[in-house]
Amino acid sequence: MNEGASYHELSKRYGFAPKPESASRLTLLVSRQDSDLDEIAKVIDKDPALRKRLLRLANPEAENEAEYAVETVEDALMRNGMGSVLVLAMSTPLALAIVRSFQTMLSLKLENIDSEEAELIEGEHLVCNIGFSGKVVGQVYLHMSLDSAKAIAAGILGISPDELTDNNEIKDVAGELLNIITGNFKSNLCDSGLDCRLQPPEVNITTDFHTPKTPGGGLEHLAFRAGKIQIFVDVTANPWN
Amino acid sequence: MPLKILSVDDSRTIRLIVGRALRPYDCILCEASNGEEGLVVAARENPDLILLDVTMPVMDGVTMLTKLKEDPALKAIPVIMLTAESGRNNVVQIARLGVRDYLVKPFKEEQLIEKIGRNVTLKKKEAALATIPAPQA
Repeated sequence: MNEGASYHELSKRYGFAPKPESASRLTLLVSRQDSDLDEIAKVIDKDPALRKRLLRLANPEAENEAEYAVETVEDALMRNGMGSVLVLAMSTPLALAIVRSFQTMLSLKLENIDSEEAELIEGEHLVCNIGFSGKVVGQVYLHMSLDSAKAIAAGILGISPDELTDNNEIKDVAGELLNIITGNFKSNLCDSGLDCRLQPPEVNITTDFHTPKTPGGGLEHLAFRAGKIQIFVDVTANPWN
Repeated sequence: MPLKILSVDDSRTIRLIVGRALRPYDCILCEASNGEEGLVVAARENPDLILLDVTMPVMDGVTMLTKLKEDPALKAIPVIMLTAESGRNNVVQIARLGVRDYLVKPFKEEQLIEKIGRNVTLKKKEAALATIPAPQA
């Protein structure tokens, strides 16, 4: 019996991988309704990658940094809102979870690439989404071409892509893959005080590439590539539910 | 006697991966796609080990585990959680219910076999065959 064992003891006993701590502090701050904007700005200012992404988000029309109209983290926070900060903070552990899932299940080394430099998917493709609700509401979307989806499903099931003739099998693998990724993401949210529950995955074949933004929340686009396989992950969340 | 292992997961993909990992071993894999089915199969098959997911439709893994531990006939069956849920509160709550081990998804097949092997004696199929006495001439 494990009565009274702490998470730390259990995580050692079960051999859990350590969790990334960098995003936790910021997520904890964002999850508190009484957080001070200056305090949040200080944390972002110390993380150059996060600062860069926040400023780019606040200047959607700018071609480069010289054209930025919003130049400080404080102004960017005022402009984008806390929902954006949350998805920015959480996208780091989310990206790690995606890379780790592909590495573990497929021995595939995904590279996190700039979503604007990625080659867009044309026409029909597979989209899978999982909603989460509770102290934070939002959705995680996974988009990939049908060829990528087939190659990934075949790799996970340990068969040749030619043996995969049933789209339902491809959809089931995609749904489970996103389930795993979103489960890791949700655990990070819960650990930061944003308790929420996941909904079952929805998987469709569609031509629609649009991701609806959660009202009042932020939206982050992530893109990954490994050889011919390219996947897009969008996350939208509002912590002020 | 081959081992009986029950995999309770709503994802067919995970059940297939578990089946593939266990293929070289002398065991029978029973399956259920939610906690309610899992309890029925556990009562019918009396497995040596249960691999249990958390988030499932109809009845989730935490509810199934609670009911399993309340049942005198089933409570001794070792349970390994096989889930993407690794939030601090969830892990502590599930551990208190009395799980034997916990494997966070994504996992490698070798990790799964290692966890199962810590709790029950897994024998390779050839090794199990070798223990069967040859028929007398």
